[in-house]
Amino acid sequence: MAYKTKKIKKSRIKMSTHEAIWGYIFLSPWILGMIFFTGGPIIASLILAFCRWDLITPPELVGLDNFIKIMSDPKFWKSLYNTFYYTIFAVPLGIIGSIIVALLMNQKWRSVRLLRTIYYLPSVTAGVASAIIWMWLFNPDFGLINYFLGKLGIKGPLWLASEEWSKPALIIMSLWGVGGNMIIYLAGLQGVPSQLYEAAEIDGANLFQKFINVTLPMLTPVIFFNLIMSIVWSFQIFTQVYVMTQGQGGPADSTLVLVLYIYQKAFKFHQMGYASALSWILFIIILIATLIQFKFSKWVYYEGELKK
Amino acid sequence: MAYTSKQTGFWASKKRQERIISLILFIIAWLGACIFVVPLVWMISTSLKTPTDIFTIPPKWIPISKIIVNYDTKLIAKGSGIAKISKGEEGARIVDIIKEGKIVSSVVVPIVGELYVKNKDVIKTGDLVAQIPSSGTAKIIKNPDGTSIIKILSKSGYTINEYNLPRGTKFYIKDGDTVRVGQHIATIMPQWHNYVEAWAPKALNETFNTYLLNTIIITASAIIGVLLSSTFVAYGFARFRFPLRDLLFLLMISTMMIPVQVTMIPTFILFKYLGWIDSFKPLIIPTFFGGGAFNIFLIRQFFMTIPYELDDAAKIDGCNYFQILYIILLPLVKPALITVAIFGFVYNWNDFLNPLIYLNSSSKYTLALGLQTFTTMYGSYYHLMMAASTIVLLPVLIIFFLGQRYFIEGVATSGLKG
Repeated sequence: MAYKTKKIKKSRIKMSTHEAIWGYIFLSPWILGMIFFTGGPIIASLILAFCRWDLITPPELVGLDNFIKIMSDPKFWKSLYNTFYYTIFAVPLGIIGSIIVALLMNQKWRSVRLLRTIYYLPSVTAGVASAIIWMWLFNPDFGLINYFLGKLGIKGPLWLASEEWSKPALIIMSLWGVGGNMIIYLAGLQGVPSQLYEAAEIDGANLFQKFINVTLPMLTPVIFFNLIMSIVWSFQIFTQVYVMTQGQGGPADSTLVLVLYIYQKAFKFHQMGYASALSWILFIIILIATLIQFKFSKWVYYEGELKK
Repeated sequence: MAYTSKQTGFWASKKRQERIISLILFIIAWLGACIFVVPLVWMISTSLKTPTDIFTIPPKWIPISKIIVNYDTKLIAKGSGIAKISKGEEGARIVDIIKEGKIVSSVVVPIVGELYVKNKDVIKTGDLVAQIPSSGTAKIIKNPDGTSIIKILSKSGYTINEYNLPRGTKFYIKDGDTVRVGQHIATIMPQWHNYVEAWAPKALNETFNTYLLNTIIITASAIIGVLLSSTFVAYGFARFRFPLRDLLFLLMISTMMIPVQVTMIPTFILFKYLGWIDSFKPLIIPTFFGGGAFNIFLIRQFFMTIPYELDDAAKIDGCNYFQILYIILLPLVKPALITVAIFGFVYNWNDFLNPLIYLNSSSKYTLALGLQTFTTMYGSYYHLMMAASTIVLLPVLIIFFLGQRYFIEGVATSGLKG
């Protein structure tokens, strides 16, 4: 008896080691990539953050020097302010906008498929080309936006040429891409069981009450996930700003966002240590923002909790 | 209860209420959709205009414009006083009307004009000062580059008006025809030539041929890399039990939160030491190492829906793991593979930061990088910038319309289960 179990155990171990080896073989490309292109560079960048290095002379350990300099660098604070400004407006507006569009796209109209396509389309054109299109739309004298504002009797601002309006212009442009998140919310809406709506109707709920008490709670997990990812992405805004300001972040640094500043420091001025320190600050901000959201995630409603 | 019983007449029917709300939402949805397509429509419209037509107010939506002969035939004094005639540019004369030493009105009479007043004549407001011939003879000069010039000449041979017309102009008159004021003489058709000019810009060393070829090479290789390695890794995560698997999976998911900027600098230095800078290698080779957390995750989710019995049956038939993956499983997750390929296409086609860092010489530029360089040289030539943007976006739009099902399904799957 004892002998038998031992044998079975042995072959089971053999089987499981065999399986484990194959598992690791299949994972190996990712593990190698993780070591060489993610984990390794993260550690290297942390070390670099405490060094001074211009790529020509050998790197020199300078302790907290970079961080001390960053703290008294007005350009850093400006870029941090700009990035926060952009995030604080672009993320909530983007989420509200994509939920509204998703609600509209969840109707039973015959043309709804075409509408979904139209709303989704701009999110695949993201990049240099769409930045150029918006530069033209924001043209103060001949752009469409100021033309329509003029028709409403409003004198349009200088947009990208104005210190005050350049960031709102970037935020408006970001709203053009709500279609990408709209699809996520649409899937969430279609996952809401219809019994819930029927029950609410029996209770005499109107459309608005149904939205507040049924739709919104059921969407919260999707909103939570989307909120976290949107913040991560919006902290990394770069291409639009680079194209629209020729890599300068102007006028008067009003669109100098953190990633653009990191790019300038690293690849224009070759201050690799300083840029690494900046990138770690970005990383830590994103990390803290994510942790705060998890900490205050009581508003997220998981259906599973009911079944406990 | 009291609330509902108060409702009478038109609003009493709940069905009618719902129908009206639905109609309002429908109108809002379409209005929004119109706003959403405006930038793209405006891009295409601008790309087909002449340099002068892009700066018209109100803006023109259809890139077709008409040339109508317009000139004042009768020049009339706007104030009363004494005429003083002086010579202007190119033989034109300036009639100033002076009252108490001040110029109260000033009329410029072109060389073709016939003066109706003499120096020191006394003139009252509304008096006829000069007249220009109300008709002229058309003279069409065709330039070898496809543009043309149309001149309207007076009987004595002076030029009344001159227009430079771009390519693709349709004429409504012949050489030597008599042209009257207000007559429609030509239509400027969409300027397809803008695309030719944008494709091979004179101010740049490279044409879009180079950019397109480079982008296709990079995008195609990256998609192959992503597909091969992400299916491989996803299979490992989905079908094998081994120590630390769940921890590694969590680690992989959490790498999605890491901003690329953190790894960007050391990775750049690594590639610099490998001598990969200014080649496509930094953009292609990393895709073979995992293919991105998002893609692995997506394909793993699809693998998880396939019953294990299929694997077991294949194993009994003598398949090894590679055969199970490539012969049995992959055909079943084709939609996921197409989704990954399409997203890989869009990502690599639009990617700007990585090519910007790794590619230096313009012969290696991608479309995104080429387009950015283009704007620095052609900053105010909006018609050419829009043509170049259309060139870059067109393949993305085509892929989108062919594969829109996969875009929507792909995002939905990953978004919900994330």
